[in-house]
Amino acid sequence: MLNEWYPVGLFSQLSKSAYKTALMGEPIEVSIAADGNAKVTSHTGRELPVRVRYGHVWSSLGAPQKELFAIPEADQPGRRFVDVGVVRVRCSPLRAVENFLDIAHFPFVHTDILGAEPHTEVQNYKVEIRDVEDEVWATQVKFYQPQAAKSASGGITTEYMYRVPAPTCSVLYKTCPPRPSEWDVITLFVQPLAEDLCDVWPWMALFDDDTSMTDLIHFQQTIFLQDRSILENQIPRLLPLDPGMEIPTRADLTSVAYRRWLKRHNYTYGAQLVAQ
Amino acid sequence: MPARTSAGSIALWRSDSGRPAASADRCPHRGMRLSHGFVRGEALSCIYHGWSYAQAGNCLRIPAHPGLTPPETIRVATQQIEEADGVIWVAVGEPTDQPPRFDGFVPLRSLTAQAGIAAIEAAAGAKKNANGFLRQSLHSEEIGFLLVEQEPDQTLVHVFIGDNATPLNRILASRAAEALRRKAEGVQTNGISA
Repeated sequence: MLNEWYPVGLFSQLSKSAYKTALMGEPIEVSIAADGNAKVTSHTGRELPVRVRYGHVWSSLGAPQKELFAIPEADQPGRRFVDVGVVRVRCSPLRAVENFLDIAHFPFVHTDILGAEPHTEVQNYKVEIRDVEDEVWATQVKFYQPQAAKSASGGITTEYMYRVPAPTCSVLYKTCPPRPSEWDVITLFVQPLAEDLCDVWPWMALFDDDTSMTDLIHFQQTIFLQDRSILENQIPRLLPLDPGMEIPTRADLTSVAYRRWLKRHNYTYGAQLVAQ
Repeated sequence: MPARTSAGSIALWRSDSGRPAASADRCPHRGMRLSHGFVRGEALSCIYHGWSYAQAGNCLRIPAHPGLTPPETIRVATQQIEEADGVIWVAVGEPTDQPPRFDGFVPLRSLTAQAGIAAIEAAAGAKKNANGFLRQSLHSEEIGFLLVEQEPDQTLVHVFIGDNATPLNRILASRAAEALRRKAEGVQTNGISA
C-alpha cells in the first residue's frame, strides 16, 4: 500500500507555511511552493510525489506505479464541487471505507435522513471486482430514503453505485434529485495517519444550484459525524480480513468483495489478518 | 449500558418487562459495541444495523432481511445475572452459590474512584470483608461500600445505607462517599504509606 496515492489536505487551504500531518505513521508537511504548486515533504526532507486533483492534494510515501484514479465527472460542466473538509476518526482507514460502502445502517445511524424504519430491507444488488480497471463495483443498489440529499424534498427510493478505485478511497454515484438523467458524485478520500487513525476527506461533485455551500457542507458533516460514533466503537479497531471474526449477510456483499480485494492485493495496512 | 467484569466488557440491559440481562459487548456482525444499542420489548438491538438479540443471546431479527429467520449460529455470549436488593450481579463462569446479601442495607448510589482498593481501605481506615464490602459509621448511621476493581488503579464503589435512613442522612452519606473518594484518590497519587 506504500505505493498508492493518498489525500493529504485540501488544496484551497494550503499556504506557504507548512501544514503538518502524517501518512502511514510518517510525519509529513504539505505546503505551497513559490511556483504555486503543492509540495509535500517527509520529515527527513525528502520530496514526495504530488498530484492536485478533486480539490485535494495527493501524495505517497513510495513510488506510485499507477496514475491517480480518474473521476470523469470532475470535469463535467455544471457541477458544483464541494470541499467538505476533514473528520478525524480513531479507526482503521479500511473500516471507514467499508462503512461508506454499507447501506443497511442508514435507518439506524442516519435516522430520518438517509433511512428510516420500517424501510430497512436491502434488495439484492450486483457486486463485481472489475479486472481491467482493478476496482470493486456495486451497482443497482436501491434504498428508500426520507431525505436523500439536501436537494431532495420528501422520501424517494434512491439508486446507488459504489466504486472502490484505491484501498482507502471510494466513489459513490447517487440518484440526483434535480437531474434524473445524471448521478451526483460523493467521494470518501481517507488519509491513513496510522493503522487505527485516519483523516476522512469527503468531497462532492453535485448538480445543485440552489443549496448554499454552507448547507451542503453541513449536510455531509452531519452524516459523517453520525458515522464516526459507530467507527470509534467497533471491536477490533482494525478491519478483520479473515472470515470467522464477523458474520456478513447478502446485504454485505460489497463489504465482502472489498475485503477479498484488499486481501488479494495484500492491502493490509489497517487490517487484522489473524482472528484474535 | 457498558459494564466491566473480570472476564471482559459486557452490555448490561433491562428489558421492557423489567428483566436484566448481560451479553458480550460486541455484535458479531460488524463488531459494534452492543452497549450503544437500544432496547425494544424483550430484545437488545445493535445501533449499527439493528440486529436484535434475545436475553438468551440468539439473534431474533436482521432488519436488512426482514423475511429471514436468523440461523441459531448467530448469537452473542451471555452471562448469568442475579438481581437482589437493588444490586445486579453478573456471574463470571458458573457460580455454585447465590450472590451475597447485605441485610439491613439499601443501595444509595455508585461512583468511580481513580484509586485501587488498597488506597480506598487506607483512606477509610478499614478493610473490606470477603464479599468486597467495607463498613463505616457516619454519626450514628452505618454506611457500606461495595468495592469492585475495574483496573488496578480504578474502583467502582457502590454505596449502601441503612434501610431506614432519613433523607438528610442519605444526603450526608452521599457527601461522605465523595469525601472518601477524594481522600482515596489522594492516597493513590501520593502513595499508600504517605
